[in-house]
Amino acid sequence: MPIKRKSNDPSDPSFKPLMRSLALELCIYAPLVTVYFIVVLHYAKEPLVQLYQEGSTSYAFITLILILVQGVLLEVFTSWMLRRIGLR
Amino acid sequence: MEFPIAGVIVNPFLLAGTGFIVGILGGFLGVGGGFLAGPLMFWAGVPIDFVVGTDLAHMTGKSLVAARSHRALGHVDIRLAMLMVLGTVPGVEIGAQIIEALKPRGNTEQVVGIFYVIILTLIGSFTAWESMRTIRMKRTEHIDAQDAVERKGLLYQSRLFRIPPFVSLPVSGVGEVSVWAILFVGLLTGVLAGFLGVGGGFLRMPLMVYALGIPTHVAVGTDLFEIVISAGYGTLSHALKGNVDVLIALTMQTGAAIGAQIGVAATRYVSGPGIRLIFSFLPFLAAAMVLLRIAF
Repeated sequence: MPIKRKSNDPSDPSFKPLMRSLALELCIYAPLVTVYFIVVLHYAKEPLVQLYQEGSTSYAFITLILILVQGVLLEVFTSWMLRRIGLR
Repeated sequence: MEFPIAGVIVNPFLLAGTGFIVGILGGFLGVGGGFLAGPLMFWAGVPIDFVVGTDLAHMTGKSLVAARSHRALGHVDIRLAMLMVLGTVPGVEIGAQIIEALKPRGNTEQVVGIFYVIILTLIGSFTAWESMRTIRMKRTEHIDAQDAVERKGLLYQSRLFRIPPFVSLPVSGVGEVSVWAILFVGLLTGVLAGFLGVGGGFLRMPLMVYALGIPTHVAVGTDLFEIVISAGYGTLSHALKGNVDVLIALTMQTGAAIGAQIGVAATRYVSGPGIRLIFSFLPFLAAAMVLLRIAF
């Protein structure tokens, strides 16, 4: 059986476009994730500390939501932006 | 920077940097990275009761980012993941009960530590040996890497257990496998995870490859999907107990989310045996960290 070829060879024609796509995605995604973190830190720090001190169950759910938003929504937004500007 | 929930002052770049490294490892190898991030957080000054919960919180987000990207590449077998979760959950509980049974003896940490080092050394050695052999076979016999595992793998034979009911896993390219075999792998990794107090990614990934014959790339993606479920549940549970500092988790995830994207992309450029060979270093690293903890 022949060996499966993957595009892990820099001379492979699909290697450069894939690398460029990843770099572009990171150029948008990384600043978004960082800005999101700074915004949450700036505006939500005090309310989160208060929620934690009150020991409410809403703190647990808000924790999970904040984590999921940072991870997924920003990634979805990045993909949407890439498609929108025609880079994907 | 001050993190008022945990009541500590920690350099945020250290946390984000730790997250970044763990993110790359997670995306590339399908592990949560708790064995690395936990000790580093503790070393940075985060109180131990916050270490586990906060680690799980950032792990949930990072694994979700990585699992989504793996899914886009066709590397997540949701059917397999769901079946394995059914075995993993009771397994974790059994592992935790074993710990409880050991507690009255007073030497739990030593017993668990030694067991941990043995298991990790075995996994690391076997994975390194098998992946090097497969890479050699690929070069000399010109066969596909997955075929090499299927034809010559030892633990792969467990797939031949013909105990009904059966399930097909088209995403993994497995025609028919006993549900009991999947549940057994889930249970085994769950027991070990519960007993050793870890997420279990570095146990599950090689077992999926060797025991069930799942292709390495799919094992990585599926493992991450299962980590999302287990770590998400763990995050909620720990947050309700007040053991999660969401600000620390978000700081770590800022690095981890970026790292995970890079890690997932890297799997496209490395073959299955190559991933397994790189993976084999992780258990040795974890074993060394445990030995250091026992010694000091």
